[in-house]
Amino acid sequence: MPNPLETVLHHSEPIDPTLWEWLSAKIDHVLGISPGAMVFILGTFIVLSPIIVGIAAFMKRRDIKR
Amino acid sequence: MSFGDGPDGLLTNKDVSEKSHNQPRLFYGWYIIAALFFATFLSIGARQGFGVFVKTWEEDWAVSTAAISFAAAIGTLVNGFSQPVFGWLTDKFGGRPVLLASFFVTGLATAGVATISSVLGLMVLYGFIISFSSGGIGFQTTGVIVARWFEKKRGVAMAVLVSGGSVGGLVFVPFLSYLLIEVGWQLAWIITGLIALLIGIPLLLIVVKSKPDDIGLTIDGVDPNSEEGLHGSADAVGPKFVDKWFDALSSRPIWQLSFGYFVCGITTTSIGVHFVRWANSEDITTGTAALAFGLLSGINAAGVLVVGMLSDRFQRKNLLGGVYLLRGLAFLTLIFLPGDIALWAFAVIGGMSWLATVPLTASLTADVYGVRNLGMLFGLANMSHAFGGALAVFLFGWAFTNWGSYNVPFVVGAFTLLAAGVVCLSISEKTNSVRFNRISQSNELDSGSVNAGAS
Repeated sequence: MPNPLETVLHHSEPIDPTLWEWLSAKIDHVLGISPGAMVFILGTFIVLSPIIVGIAAFMKRRDIKR
Repeated sequence: MSFGDGPDGLLTNKDVSEKSHNQPRLFYGWYIIAALFFATFLSIGARQGFGVFVKTWEEDWAVSTAAISFAAAIGTLVNGFSQPVFGWLTDKFGGRPVLLASFFVTGLATAGVATISSVLGLMVLYGFIISFSSGGIGFQTTGVIVARWFEKKRGVAMAVLVSGGSVGGLVFVPFLSYLLIEVGWQLAWIITGLIALLIGIPLLLIVVKSKPDDIGLTIDGVDPNSEEGLHGSADAVGPKFVDKWFDALSSRPIWQLSFGYFVCGITTTSIGVHFVRWANSEDITTGTAALAFGLLSGINAAGVLVVGMLSDRFQRKNLLGGVYLLRGLAFLTLIFLPGDIALWAFAVIGGMSWLATVPLTASLTADVYGVRNLGMLFGLANMSHAFGGALAVFLFGWAFTNWGSYNVPFVVGAFTLLAAGVVCLSISEKTNSVRFNRISQSNELDSGSVNAGAS
């Protein structure tokens, strides 16, 4: 009988830390961009995309009210 | 046919011009999909990103991986239990308030993780509070909002929503990982919480409405003055529409759909957990297995959109049955093909079926039972998916530990998928779905022959 903690240790929902370590090393190797630059690029995408959606929807709502 | 002020009641140029001016070019429902996509992206991305912090916490708190994973496992169970609760709340109060309240609590608690200094704190804040409140951002809430806005394009709208989770995993997990390197884990959690509070909540407040008539629109953006608007989708009910959620339990389709979804939980969660270990047992390196699993994830994001589009043109039960049978075929490759070929065959065939069950099951539930109780019904299905998955993870691990091979669990997986495929194909969609068998609500109320409840 396996240790129940061993099962939950590999639970699917959070990404497996060992797998992620390998994947991030590969990403670094392929892209060769510094962590700071990656934070800036991904952060810009994460912050800007909802702002654009919000503005577009706000304008659309004004059109609908007219 | 539309009627205007022209001779014989036909539309004049003025009517056409006014109508085209009043009719929005892009239906507002798609803006709601975009906002809900972001909510799903953030919620699932942040939950998956938990794994990025495990090693740092081990060092900072001097605890084992198992102790931290125990908090994550509690979170998974709590999240499973929360789904029908939030489904019920969504049915009662509408999707918007549930979504906003859940987002607020989750955002606040996420920022609060920065103050934790022990596993016990992690269990309380992540295992219970965040895992429970983020249940309100799940598909039983967002899916209900989508079902109230879309009927004709319900399949593709649900598929776009679901794909937000895939994109969240692909973008937000790396973001958290680099953030951890740059600013440390405390600030990384604070930034994530602030993104939810300062960007997510205003976006949802501005964009999302629980249903179209909150802003004077109709389902699918149909012109309310047109013939379709007067007698069309917004006005129709199906033969199995229910007034109370438990009335649905006495009919067959909900059990057929739930059985399929339970099998879906068994077969996806077990593979998510045991795929790398199986590959290692076949002398395949962790790196190659990770690459194959990455391919599977990429294909599933595309697969879910294709299936969503097809589901608006064809019977959804046929696609759902086909998806389960396809996944069964993927399991058979793991048994009968040599390990290195099976790895890639499974990634390609399995990837096409991975997430596609979610929009199909949600849409079909809405088509058969209406949206009035969709939150509760889909919440129950989600809970069975989560518990089926947790059980399968344990049993697959038990089988491997005792028998040294995954062959028996894979055979069981293939047979349950075959059964799920046959059961879903046997759903009488043409008889039970509002897409094929619609009854006017006014006729319905006059005759009093059906349970009632319109979208």
